[in-house]
Order: sequence, then C-alpha cells, then structure tokens
Amino acid sequence: MLSRVAERVYWLARYIERVENTARLAKVHSQLMFDLPKSIPFSWYGLVQITSNEEYFKETYADIRTEQNCMAMLLTDRDNAASLFTSLWWARENIRTTRDILPREAWVHINELYLMVKEQQQDFNDRTKRNALLSKIIRSCQAFNGMLSGTMSHNDTYRFLKLGMLIERADMTTRLIDEGGLYVSQQAFENEEEAHFHSILWAHLLRSISAYFMYRLEYQTEISGQEVLQFLTQDQAFARSVSYCLNEMDSLAKQLPNANALQAATHSLLAKIQASHTLDIGSEQLHEHLDWIQGELSAINELLYDIWFNPKQVA
Amino acid sequence: MLKTLDNYSVNGFFDEAIIDSNHSRPAAKPLFSQLKDTPFNSFQEMQKSAEMAIAQMGISFTVYSDKGNIDRLWPFDAFPRTIEAEEWNSITKGLKQRLQALNRFIEDVYNEQEIFKAGIVPLEVITSSKDFRPECIGMKLKHNSWANICGSDLVRDAEGKVYVLEDNLRVPSGVSYMLENRAVMKQVMPEVFRDMNILPVDQYPLQLLSMLRSLCPQNCDNPEVVVLTPGIYNSAYYEHAYLAHEMGAELVEGSDLVVLEDDCVYMRNIEGLKQVDVIYRRIDDAFMDPEVFRADSALGVPGLIRAWKAGNVAIANAPGCGVADDKVVYAYVPEMIRFYLDEEPLIDNVPTYLCDREEDRNYVLDHLNELVVKPANESGGYGLLIGPRASEEELAEFRALILDNPRNYIAQPTLNLSTVPTVCEETLEPRHVDLRPFILQGEKSYVTAGGLTRVALTKGSLVVNSSQGGGSKDTWIVVTEENT
Repeated sequence: MLSRVAERVYWLARYIERVENTARLAKVHSQLMFDLPKSIPFSWYGLVQITSNEEYFKETYADIRTEQNCMAMLLTDRDNAASLFTSLWWARENIRTTRDILPREAWVHINELYLMVKEQQQDFNDRTKRNALLSKIIRSCQAFNGMLSGTMSHNDTYRFLKLGMLIERADMTTRLIDEGGLYVSQQAFENEEEAHFHSILWAHLLRSISAYFMYRLEYQTEISGQEVLQFLTQDQAFARSVSYCLNEMDSLAKQLPNANALQAATHSLLAKIQASHTLDIGSEQLHEHLDWIQGELSAINELLYDIWFNPKQVA
Repeated sequence: MLKTLDNYSVNGFFDEAIIDSNHSRPAAKPLFSQLKDTPFNSFQEMQKSAEMAIAQMGISFTVYSDKGNIDRLWPFDAFPRTIEAEEWNSITKGLKQRLQALNRFIEDVYNEQEIFKAGIVPLEVITSSKDFRPECIGMKLKHNSWANICGSDLVRDAEGKVYVLEDNLRVPSGVSYMLENRAVMKQVMPEVFRDMNILPVDQYPLQLLSMLRSLCPQNCDNPEVVVLTPGIYNSAYYEHAYLAHEMGAELVEGSDLVVLEDDCVYMRNIEGLKQVDVIYRRIDDAFMDPEVFRADSALGVPGLIRAWKAGNVAIANAPGCGVADDKVVYAYVPEMIRFYLDEEPLIDNVPTYLCDREEDRNYVLDHLNELVVKPANESGGYGLLIGPRASEEELAEFRALILDNPRNYIAQPTLNLSTVPTVCEETLEPRHVDLRPFILQGEKSYVTAGGLTRVALTKGSLVVNSSQGGGSKDTWIVVTEENT
C-alpha cells in the first residue's frame, strides 16, 4: 500500500471522528447550559479551552466570549483548522482522493453530509435547530463508520482508517475529562449545591460520548468524578476509553509491517495509564496528567509518520 | 433493412452502415437483420438504458471551470458503429507499420539522424520543434520502442477510403471509454451480442500490462509497473484509475516516487521503499522531472530523467517522443515508412501541403477557399482556417500569414467525414464520426479491436471532441458469415 494513500485514509478517519466529537461537545455544552441552576455562572468559553483554541480565539474574536462567538469558532469557522466544518471539508478532500480504494458509497455519504452542513450552517445560530443538526451529524458519522466496517475488506486500508479513528477518539476522551475538571475547579459551592452540580456535570459528559448507559452498568452508585475518570481512561471494554483505544491500536498494528516501535509505544502508554494513581478531580495534577496523555498520543501520531507515511529514505 | 431507416438519407457522404435505401454494408447486415422490425421508440429506450448504465457505473470525464471541477457523465450513443473484420485486419497492419516507422524515426532523431542526412526530412523540422528534447540525444531503448502507446485518429472520405488524420504519441487518452462503451452495449443489446460475431475488446488492459512489462530494463522476473497520474484534478483521472485498477498496478502521483543516489526510482510504501521498474506516465514531458524540465512542476519526480538515462527505469511513452507528434512531421510519415521499412504505406495520410515547399505553397494559395489551413506547431484547433467557410478578409489574412512564415503552415483538403446512424430526437439520423484505435508497441505490437468512435452529435457538425458536443459509440469489428 502506498504511504500517501495510507496517510490519507488515516486522516480521513481522524477528521470524521473529529467531526463527530466536535458535534458531541457542542451538543453537551448546550444541554448543560439548560440543566444547571441559574445561580451557577456558566461559560461558553469552556468550548474554546477544551479544544486548545485560546490563542486563536483571542486573535479572531477579540476574546469576546459570547455563545455566538464560541459556537462559530467551534462549528462553522473555515479559518479555524479545528472547526467542525473545516474537519468535514478535509474529510471530504481526503475521501475524494482515495475514492478508488474505498466503497463507492463512502464518497457519496460524506459528500452528502458535507453539502447538508454547508447548506444548513445557519441553523447553528439557533439553539433548537442547532441541536437537531448536531444530532444528524453525529448519526451520519456513526452510519459512515458502520458502513465501512460492514462493506470493506478488513485489510491494510481498513486498519489505517481504524487507527485514525482510535487515536482521535482517545485524544477527545481526555479532553472531555479535562473539561469536567475545569468546571469543577472553577466553581466554588456550598456542599450540597456542589454535589448536585457535579452529578449533573458528569452525567452530561458521559452522555456526550454515549457513555452514560455503559457507565451505569459498570457502576451502580451515584456518579462520581473519580469513577468517571477511571471508566474513561482505564476501562478495558468501553469503546471510548483511552485504554480500550490503545489496546485496539496495538492489535491493528500487529497486522501491519514494521510495527514494533508503535506497539512498544502503545504498550508503554497503556501500562502507565493503568498504573496511574488516583488524582483529584479539578486538580492541576489531573490536568497535567491528561495533557501528558495527549502529548503521548501526539508522539504516537509522529511515529506513524516515521514508520509508514514518511519514513527515512533507505533503499 | 431497418424499418426505422426508411427516410434515412446518406446525403452523398459515406455511411458506415448503409449503402442506399435498399442495401446495408456487410458488417451492418447481421445487426440490421436482428433489429429489422424494431420501432424507433425501442431505440430511444436503448438509449435511455445506456445512459442509466453510464450513470450507475459512474463513467465520467472532468470539465474544468471556475466553480471547481465537475464530473460529467460520458456522452454516448446507443447505435453501434460496425466495421468488417477483414477490412479491420488490413487497417491493423497499416497502423502497426506506421508506429514502427515512427519509432524508428524517433530513435533516429536522437541518434544517427540518417533520415536527415539522406535529405528525406529537412533537419529544421526537428530543430524548430518545441518537443525536441536534447536530453534524449544518444539514448537507445529496449525494442527500439519510444512511443509505446499511440492513439491514431482515422477518418473516411466520401468514397470510403480510410486515412490517418493524426498520430497522438504523447499521452493519448480515451481507451477506458472504449472499454466502458462495450460494457454498456452488452447491457443494452445482450441478444445481439449472443447472435453476432463481434470481436471482444477487453484484452486491452492485459495487453497493455504485458507490453509495459516487456519494457523492463533489468532484473525482469517480476517487474513493478506503476501508472503515474498528475492526480485527481486531471481530466483523464478516471481513465488513469481505471487502467491501474484493471492492470493491478499501483496508481501513483509524483510525490509517491523518489529517486535515490543510486539513480533508481522507488515508491513510498507502508512496507518501505520499493523499486519501480516501469512507469506508464500520464503526465506531459514538461512536468515529469523538475530537475530537467519545468522547475516549477509539483507533479513530477526530481531525478526521474536521470534514472531513465541510467537505464534503471522504463518510461512509457518515452520522454522526447512528442517530437514525432507534430503536423509537419506527420506529413513525412509515408516517406519514413519507405525509408526505414522499405515498404509502401498501407494506410494513406490525408494529403498535406507543406507551405514551406514552393510547389505546395502555390497550390495552397490558389486553392485557399477549398482547404483547411493549420499552423504546424499548435494543437487543439487554434489558429485554424476552414477555407470553404471563411470570409474574404480571413482568406486574405491567411494568405499574408502563409507568405510571411510559410514553414509554420500546412494545408489539407476539407474532409467529408463518414456518417453512422445515430439516435436523435425524432428518428435515426446520420452523424459524422472518426475513430481512434490504440496501438501498442513493446516487444510485440498490438492494435485494439476497433477503438473509440467519436461522433459529432450536432447535425452537420464535424467536431467530435467530447468537450464540444461530441459523444461516442461502441465500435464493432464484425466477422461476417462470408469470412467464417
């Protein structure tokens, strides 16, 4: 398989996953907004922080932290490399140039999604319509993954697609936990109020990645930040936990050529995550821990380039 | 005869299917006896079902525009063009002969230059050609074969005689449409295929692969063949992907290839670098290697020409073979056949007057209003004079142009292209066609069974180009009963 083609399908899957996760993030943030008691100050700016866009936001939106600005930056801003629409645009470009190795429906599906979002992007400004559109986008991304899984040979092309999806997913999960921690650290409450706020917050975060139900099956107690953290980083069975994603990446890498270095990296990261101590929700240490995981994932991304996409040229 | 053709009038042109209202040509006879009671609306249905098949199979070509590139569906006419196998056989021989002579010529141009020394072709013809590549001087190629894939355009005049109108030796395209047209027709007229003896066309990709493999310069047990495309935005990208797919070869872009210090070409694979032995390139000379040709080319592979000259990779068509794809050079092809092969040409050129020759020039100036005048170094129909349709001013203008720079102009008689019945709005009507067969030359030669018939869908029009209202037809080489 050509390195260029491998790189394109990898990024295709990353962008699709990013579109889905960005839609989930925007959706849960809006929901949270409706459920929190009026007494609790709530900021749209969290959306900027969680996607590490503080600098860009300052430059482009003069740091004016309105709902409209934050949502525009996250969803429709074509100049923001990380916006939903930009990700979708890139996904479409990548699939357009790899059409010959993907099922024909794949192109049609993403092209339709792109055209729909392009046409309806005004709806993002209206809270009710925004929710409906975000739900449509999430469903469409899920249908896309299901279609590929159900119609493609599970060959190298498919493996690179899955690798892209998994690494993006693991990264997003750490960012969501970080968001939860951020809220916790920013608010000071009376005891009773705090417990109430926390349970709403974590339930929403879990729902944002469709993890609520699975979490409930695993932990029958009241939702606690600590357990959410465990579930989303260390659980070996939940499809969006960081550990699960790393395990899957490892078993995919096994079937690809020259994957030793990648397997070593995923093993080592997995072992460290499994062995990590309990960290207080809202603490600086937790934030640093999550930052560190994101850094390790980014190193794994680099490794994919060293091994497959752009290896040193030795005959 | 077909009922539907009762009012069909050939208008003094040569029709490929019909001699007169009571007689069909032998190649069309079995088709007509199959369809003799078919009413016109059945032809319309066939046409619709062909168009649906094209949409479903996603057969498209790309049109450039300011609003981005659009994939358009391939325009197609469901009434096939028939040619007798016996006639095709002799055309095939003529095409192979022609390409052999052209290849000998290209090799001669870059080596001994005997044909110029013998005074048969003036040396200025190549020194003034923008497609002459000094980098190729001294190169000898396996099987003496430079132009490995050639698309020659054939036309018939009013008497039915076949001529070569031009030879496309750079990166000829259209062969995938020939293959797809057949696939469509098998869906549209399945019974006819069962009962008629029509030569199959679908060996082409394998013939192409085997020709490409025969070019492998060294270590050729299992040569790695790739198709080099400029990418998705090229109008023929569909064809590049199609052929790569059919041959089981990698479809690569320039950035997928790298030339290392050992002067070998490698492709970047997930397993690592893999050596490439044969490149079927679908990009022009000028974009192939920024080290040698256009430095601003992002499509090419730096060092590719170095690797080719070192004999480590074969490139088809070879760099520099465009020197023979030139209207003045074309005029000398019959002479080349006599000079290199010591044979008489089996297919004639369209008579061509080179304005540089005094005798020709005088004839051209005397008959300007009957001739088509073409600049020698332009392509795509630019700067053309069509005598019979030109105004007095235009004729005067070209008279001056020719006198001013006679070397830059050639003239040919206005051609009355042959016609084929075509599904039009009201009934079957004659429309003008040409034919582009594809000729391969490596270790062996091969000619497609038929080729791509292009048809001018507008009444009276002679323009068969798909970007200008042209369409295509399936071409049937028919083995008639007399010959079986």
